[in-house]
Amino acid sequence: MRESNSRLTALVEGLTDWGIEYFVYVPSSHSAPVIRGLISAGVANVMANREEEAVGIASGLALTGKKVAIIMQDNGFGNALTALATFAQPYQAGFPIFANTRGGLGEYNSMVHSISDSNPDLLKKIGVRVEELGISDSPEVWRSSSQAVAQMAVIQRRPVVTLFESLHPGMETIK
Amino acid sequence: MKRIEALEVLDQIFGNDPLIITCGATAREMASISQKKSHLPLLDSMGLTTPVGLGVALGVKGRVGVIDGDGSLLMGFSILPTLKAYGPKNLIVIVLDNGQHASADLMLSQASDVDIAGAAKGLGLWVGQCDSADEMKSLIASRTGADEISMIFVKIEKGNTPGIPFYLANPPKLSADFVESISS
Ligand SMILES: Cc1ncc(C[n+]2csc(CCOP(=O)(O)OP(=O)(O)O)c2C)c(N)n1
Ligand SMILES: [Mg+2]
Repeated sequence: MRESNSRLTALVEGLTDWGIEYFVYVPSSHSAPVIRGLISAGVANVMANREEEAVGIASGLALTGKKVAIIMQDNGFGNALTALATFAQPYQAGFPIFANTRGGLGEYNSMVHSISDSNPDLLKKIGVRVEELGISDSPEVWRSSSQAVAQMAVIQRRPVVTLFESLHPGMETIK
Repeated sequence: MKRIEALEVLDQIFGNDPLIITCGATAREMASISQKKSHLPLLDSMGLTTPVGLGVALGVKGRVGVIDGDGSLLMGFSILPTLKAYGPKNLIVIVLDNGQHASADLMLSQASDVDIAGAAKGLGLWVGQCDSADEMKSLIASRTGADEISMIFVKIEKGNTPGIPFYLANPPKLSADFVESISS
């Protein structure tokens, strides 16, 4: 499990390979290595207060032709669904969303799975494509997949979600 | 000033600059008087107008306008601190404040009880306030080229203009036109 950081580094590398110009994020301890990695790489960014807001800002940037991604955690999709379904998708804003999953292995919170477990179905139900990256995928796969998903979102002019597994830093010692 | 009168003036002021327009009767009334590629009306995404406008303004160099409503702004009120933290100087957000959700059966909004412009000021945003077309024009003129983001709260009359048809636009077409207009 300690290896998860090399995968998160690979995600950052995949996005810089793609040529990411902007990212919009909602803070998360699980996604923090990705957020900090992109900041260290000098990528311009906006911290949003809620995920719906992030979808609006990223959509606006995407319509101007910027390569933009959202980094968030998946328990925020409830906040983002209407914005995705009524704006980002129909207005053809192409950008990737990378969201760490909660509620799975290593989870310390007793109820967060009640939204997180449902996310793939909820997103697919509104027509959002969902990719997954897990700890059984190699860092090389994380890197190439992140880049490919980002490219696909732009080419297909739609938001595409990647759900990625990342243990809470405090849980890294669980073997 | 009625909403449709404010929209007429705003359409002229912004010319072919990107203009992000809030949902409901605002988008409908604007479409009934002017449809331009540089207009991006959000047909139903209440609360999202100003966030989308912020994204557009971060992505382009020239002036960008947002026309929001008090109810829509209140739905996405968390954008206000984000505007203060990141708001680009080329963005002018106009809030047409009638103290009601005119598009939703004229139900009062909380803006009829609380001072939303005061909240924006409290966050440190540059705020202008007016209730006439002339003041609105001169405020926007004075804030074009300003060195920070501007929020202009415009008091308008309650109600909607009768007889405006539904606006049956196709979102992919609206956004393709908008993308064309900002890249030309
Ligand atoms: C998520 C969501 N909830 C409710 C609505 C219904 N709705 C459409 S416009 C509107 C009122 C908007 O009020 P305001 O922004 O003040 O504009 P006004 O009509 O007063 O000009 C409402 C409640 C909606 N479109 N989307
Ligand atoms: Mg109103």
